Order: sequence, then structure tokens, then C-alpha cells
Amino acid sequence: MVHLPQRCEALVLRLTSYGESDVIVTLFTADHGLQKGFAKSARKSRKRFGAALEPFTKAVFQWKKGRGSFWLLQDSELISSHLGLRSDLHHLALASYGVELVSLLLEEGEPHQIIYELLCSFLDYLEQGGDGLIARLLFELRLIYLLGYMPHLLHCSECLKIFTNEPVRFDAQRGGSLCLDCAGSTGISVDLGTIGSLARSLKVTYRQFDGFLFGPKTLQQAGLILNQVLQQVLPREPKSLKFLSQL
Amino acid sequence: MLGSLPSFARLESELSKLPGIGRKTAARLAFHLLRTSEQDVEALAAALLEMRRNVHFCQCCFHIAEEELCQICSNPARETQSLCVVEEPQDLLAIERSHSYSGLYHVLHGALSPLDGIGPEDLKIPQLLQRLDQEPISEIILATNFTVEGEATALYLGQICKDRGLQVTRLAHGIPSGSDLEYIDAGTVQQAVAGRREFS
Repeated sequence: MVHLPQRCEALVLRLTSYGESDVIVTLFTADHGLQKGFAKSARKSRKRFGAALEPFTKAVFQWKKGRGSFWLLQDSELISSHLGLRSDLHHLALASYGVELVSLLLEEGEPHQIIYELLCSFLDYLEQGGDGLIARLLFELRLIYLLGYMPHLLHCSECLKIFTNEPVRFDAQRGGSLCLDCAGSTGISVDLGTIGSLARSLKVTYRQFDGFLFGPKTLQQAGLILNQVLQQVLPREPKSLKFLSQL
Repeated sequence: MLGSLPSFARLESELSKLPGIGRKTAARLAFHLLRTSEQDVEALAAALLEMRRNVHFCQCCFHIAEEELCQICSNPARETQSLCVVEEPQDLLAIERSHSYSGLYHVLHGALSPLDGIGPEDLKIPQLLQRLDQEPISEIILATNFTVEGEATALYLGQICKDRGLQVTRLAHGIPSGSDLEYIDAGTVQQAVAGRREFS
């Protein structure tokens, strides 16, 4: 059976050297989700791919269906290298973290148009020198929400009581926010303001990272909340998180 | 099929563990050795063993060496004020082939990789910092690859070296982004070394 070449835009998430000069590329596309591509002789000859196979690069790839689920990459047209990421190690590490979260949380071959756009916006914002802590918080929050892992926030996840002004605890294992009566000694203590900030942030378009302001306490508590949720859903701890902690 | 030929199967299995060698290539190599004279096969086996027993990493720069120090570290004619940091021994050899640099080296044996969780402690970075404390080095040339990992390593080392008051330079552009230094011709490497600039 002859497979005709196809074209599509993709983000390069990572690449692995294979054999003497070939490369296996993990691509993320809007229409085909995560895909593995095989770029023959890509490390020796730069004619077809140039710098398009570097992580965080957005390019249009021409590909043919290969053996199994692999795409045979034939050519590329660079859109953006996100070179600005290479001038700040922390932003580079955050971009790696974002890419790794997507790789870990999504199934291969499932289309995710919105998450594709979210990741592109996240990388664009970091490349432009945006605030790393805010970018991380918004990216994690939106990814959790878009994948359907959002915990209960503004009401107790067990008795469903809507919070007004009382102390709140959070335990991702028990579904999210908890009133003191239901929480007992479990979970972490969080301000209602933090939970409200997270809920309000979800009302803004997922492409927007500019214009947010969070206080240090909100960032710290929101970080703990999102970390708890991610620990519940991730198959393993992201390696880039270990790297981030070393910076 | 090869069950009745355990020696052949064993060789094929051992060869296929080498980088870039798949099952088919391993079988091809095994058949080639089968047709080679016993004397030549013995010479190959002896060369493999000799290399493995005699070659190790230089105690100073971590390049390959047969003595305690490599030929570069033990050469008194080399400039001792500048230190060129590379990812792998092959990168060092690429720069040496260009005859454009006469200082010392430090081989990291990898690059920082957030995606693989490879941090400074996983490379020869602590040893590099120790050298900076002990040797009269005034310039650091960051010659890591122009890949994401190489750039991350350069950013990390650049900041540390600047904090120590050292002059930090990076190989000049001319080496295409995303390429491995190993595959660049010596002329391009020469230009890159000559055109190195202040790392900002």
C-alpha cells in the first residue's frame, strides 16, 4: 500500500539519537496529538531538517506513514525555534517541564487542539521573558482543567458546602477543598483567596499568560495545591522537576 | 534458527549491544568475521581487550588517556590560562583537528538536560569548579554543542564562571543551531573558535 506524503504543523517535544545518524522525534500536533517521527540521517545531513528537530521548535513537517505507528519525516519548514528560551536557564527548564507534563499526561495519537495551543502560548510567553512562576501556575492549572482532573475548589468536596469566609483545607486524594469539619487532620491549610484566584484564573482564555498578578503567598499555596493534584495523575515524577529544583 | 550455533548467536548478541548496531548488522559483521582469517580475528580481539584495559579518562580533564594524564594535560607547551569546556571527547578531537586552539580542555561527559533530569552533579562540573579553584585559568571557552542541552550547559557554566570573575567566551555562530560539533568540518570549527565572542 502506497502512503502519500502529508503535512502538518507540530511542536518538537524531544529527540533521541538512533543508530549512527538517525533521530527519533516526539512531536505534538493539534490534529494527531503526540506522535513519534523517524528522521533518517538527520544528524549528518541538515538539508531537510536544519534546526527544526530541536526541542520547543514549531515547524511544518512533511511525513509519510511508516512501519507501525511511526511517521517517516521527509522535510520541514521552520516556523519558530523559540530561540529566546536559550537565553535564560530557568525559562528553558520550565519549558522542558511543560513539554514533559504534556508527554506524560497525554496518550499517543489522541488529538488535543486546545492543549496544543496552550503549550504553544506557554512557550511563547516564556520566550518573551514572561514571569516563570506565573507561567508555571497557569500552565499546570489549565492543563489539569482541560484534561478533566480539576479538583473541587470553591466548595467542600465531601459535604458540598459552599465556602464563604471560613478556613479551608485541601487534599487532592479526597477530591480537593475540604471544610474543617470534613477535613479532620488531613490536607494542607489554604486561604480562600488562593482557591478563589485559581478559580478566577480559569475564566480567562487559556492562551493568555500576560496581565496576571499573584502575591507570594498565593503562588506558594497554589503551587502546593497543583503539585498535590499532579502527583495524583502523573505516572511518575517529571525528570525536569528534579532539574528545576537544582537551579 | 541459530540455536544450534551457540557461538555464532553469542557473538551476534554481543555485537548488537554496540551503539548503532542492530540485529541485521550484527549478523552481517558476524558472517564477515567468520570469513576472516583466525589471525585477524585474534588481532581484533586483542585490540579490543588492550583498549579496554589501557584506555581510561584523564584524571585532570577527563579526556581519554593511556597514562594518568592525557597528552594535552601533560604537554608543557599548552597554554594554561584558557580552558575549553566540551561535552564529549569527540568534540575535543574536533577542535584539535582544526589546529585553532592551544589551551587546555575539560570534558563534561554530557550536557545538562532538564528533560532527562541530568543536572550539574551528573556531569564533570564539580571537577571543573575544583580546577578553576586550583589552576591559573583566566578564560573559559564554552564549546558545548549548539543544541538545547548544550545551550543550557553554557548558560549554567557561564553564570558560575562570571561570578568568579573569569572571562567567558562562547564559540561563534557559524555552527548551525541543532547540530553536533562532531559532524562539523574542521574549517567551520576553526572559524567558530577564531570568532568566539563574549558570552552574554
